[in-house]
Amino acid sequence: MTPETLHSTFKASLNRLEASDPSRTLRGEAMALFNKLGYPTRKHENWRYTDLKPIVKAELDPTPKSLTTNQIKQSTRLLDTSLLDDGAARLVLVDGELLPNAQTLDGIQGLTILGHEETWQRISELQSVELFQRHPLAALNTAFASSGILIKLSENTNVEQPLHLIFTSTQAANKATQPRILIDIGAGSKLTIVQHFVGEDSVANWTNLVTQITQSKESHLTIYRFQEYGNEQFHTELLDAKIAQDAKLKLGYVDLGGKLVRNDVQVDLAEPGAACEIFGVFLATQGQHVDNHTRIDHTAPQTTSREAFRGIIGERGRGVFNGKVVVHRGAQGTDAQQSSDNLLLSERGEIDTKPELEIYTDDVKCAHGATVGELDAEQLFYIRSRGVDEDTAKGLLTFAFANDVLRRIEVPEVRERVASCVAGQLPDYENWGGLL
Amino acid sequence: MKKNIILQIKGLHAQVEDRAILNGLDLKVGSGEVHAIMGPNGSGKSTLAQILAGRDNYEVTSGTIEFCGKDLFSLSTEERAQEGLFLAFQYPVEIPGVNNAYLLKAALNAQRAANDEPQVDAFEFTKLIKDKMELMQMSSDFLNRSVNEGFSGGEKKRNEILQMLTLEPRLAVLDETDSGLDVDALKVVASGINSLRDSKRAIILVTHYERLLELVVPDHVHVLSEGCIVKSGDRELARTLDKQGYDWVRKEAANL
Repeated sequence: MTPETLHSTFKASLNRLEASDPSRTLRGEAMALFNKLGYPTRKHENWRYTDLKPIVKAELDPTPKSLTTNQIKQSTRLLDTSLLDDGAARLVLVDGELLPNAQTLDGIQGLTILGHEETWQRISELQSVELFQRHPLAALNTAFASSGILIKLSENTNVEQPLHLIFTSTQAANKATQPRILIDIGAGSKLTIVQHFVGEDSVANWTNLVTQITQSKESHLTIYRFQEYGNEQFHTELLDAKIAQDAKLKLGYVDLGGKLVRNDVQVDLAEPGAACEIFGVFLATQGQHVDNHTRIDHTAPQTTSREAFRGIIGERGRGVFNGKVVVHRGAQGTDAQQSSDNLLLSERGEIDTKPELEIYTDDVKCAHGATVGELDAEQLFYIRSRGVDEDTAKGLLTFAFANDVLRRIEVPEVRERVASCVAGQLPDYENWGGLL
Repeated sequence: MKKNIILQIKGLHAQVEDRAILNGLDLKVGSGEVHAIMGPNGSGKSTLAQILAGRDNYEVTSGTIEFCGKDLFSLSTEERAQEGLFLAFQYPVEIPGVNNAYLLKAALNAQRAANDEPQVDAFEFTKLIKDKMELMQMSSDFLNRSVNEGFSGGEKKRNEILQMLTLEPRLAVLDETDSGLDVDALKVVASGINSLRDSKRAIILVTHYERLLELVVPDHVHVLSEGCIVKSGDRELARTLDKQGYDWVRKEAANL
């Protein structure tokens, strides 16, 4: 997917659309801007530790295609083995397209899933050159995005049941899927979304996701984003959220699979009382590269942010964390806390962690910290002295390290699956009961 | 009744970074026996306890240790525990995020697996430790807390004894389990230790003070000084040491 091949592919993909399609202009603008910006390279400050070359060099096809009957069957099969909760309300996206007949939204009042036309209307309202300049891959997403979905929750609606969004791909390799999700939460409403990324081992696709969130005042949105791809997958994403007065966004990021993963999070605490909590756990081993880049803008006074990431870096794993908190002029009473703790399990692993604080106002409370450590020798000896073998003791301590963040996941199915994934990739212990 | 030898240490020398700590220590512990090892600070008591459990911070330069007829040095830390050696730590380690009950059960099952015994399930486990927890005066919420995290000094020591009672070791080495305990907690800990005493097991109490030995009466008392045992006796020796300190033992040893 060099810039040259992209250009011709783009022309072809536009031809698939009707002349009157509302997305044409927006796609054209985005493509033009991406052509100017190009892929981010390591010369960009925000991309110093992550090299997109493996994606740029791979011959990937970004053109959205309709699913064949066979592909639908295959995907349904994969789905059966990976569902976190059979009974959950869910939407399934295969290669970025909604899988027909796979959604169950029974009994959820006030929640609407809107299609192509409304979604692109909303995209046009949110489209900005500034966003693309900061995140060129979001421009690429806009140029090639599939139909996209707009999840809309009306005012004063409390949805108890979590909504699962499952992202998977067909086995056709070499796809560059560009899913687009928009989430609008009405004033005083409450919703929990589980974004679940699954994929098979051998498939080397690229998913480049953009999620745009708009929260009205006093709303609560929780998103648990759980990625358990096979180890060949490329994944990049931007989550861009704007939070209104007294509204709260909670984000939980878990990355276990993938070959090259880059998550960008950008939260604007735009009105007084807005708050966000971001926590994450990632596991990078055997040549995996996981990069979490977050930026929280405290634009309004009395806004609060809490952020905690825990990285586990194994043999030949590479982790990156960059957490930027910007307290803007006029954002008095800001309360921001951030921590990045990392466990380096191998001498042949690497972690680069960088908290950044920019403060342009007085009367704020900000704290950040970063640690990189190995397993504690005293703890290891203590556990072994009770008869537990060394591998299990190491696994247990690694799990305990992750669990400090995992315990914040309030959907039990997700917590359990994540815990057993962490445990499963680590030295095994057959019974994790009692730890969760 | 015939006694088996549980532990036999011969000519043990050990050092840390070229500093000799143990200088030819000999000790023989038979089944059913309780030995107390006393001595001033820095005499090598804790080093001995840690070496027995397999801590690799110390370099053993010569000597042998047999544990129930096996060469102790050929066993890893976990294998020693599975074979029935238990060290109650002087400073029990806090492990945030690892549930107390979980560790206890994992330890018990590791031991059982090593001995080809069936695993305990949650129900059996609860039944098994109920009485022991009562004896240690620990409420059930202890089980759901992280290992030793936020425990008071006394709670940590009682937790060590609970682990010991659950694992039922053949040899328990208690490293200054009495330090930092008030009189009531000391009694609880002592009753825990006494409940483990029987003809098959042996206990080594490493301590500074005589007060524990009034509650757990030892069969043998040894004085450790500068890395070797310089005097051995019965409980009366401990009482004498309590009254007169260690200087006279050192002088006596120097004159030999």
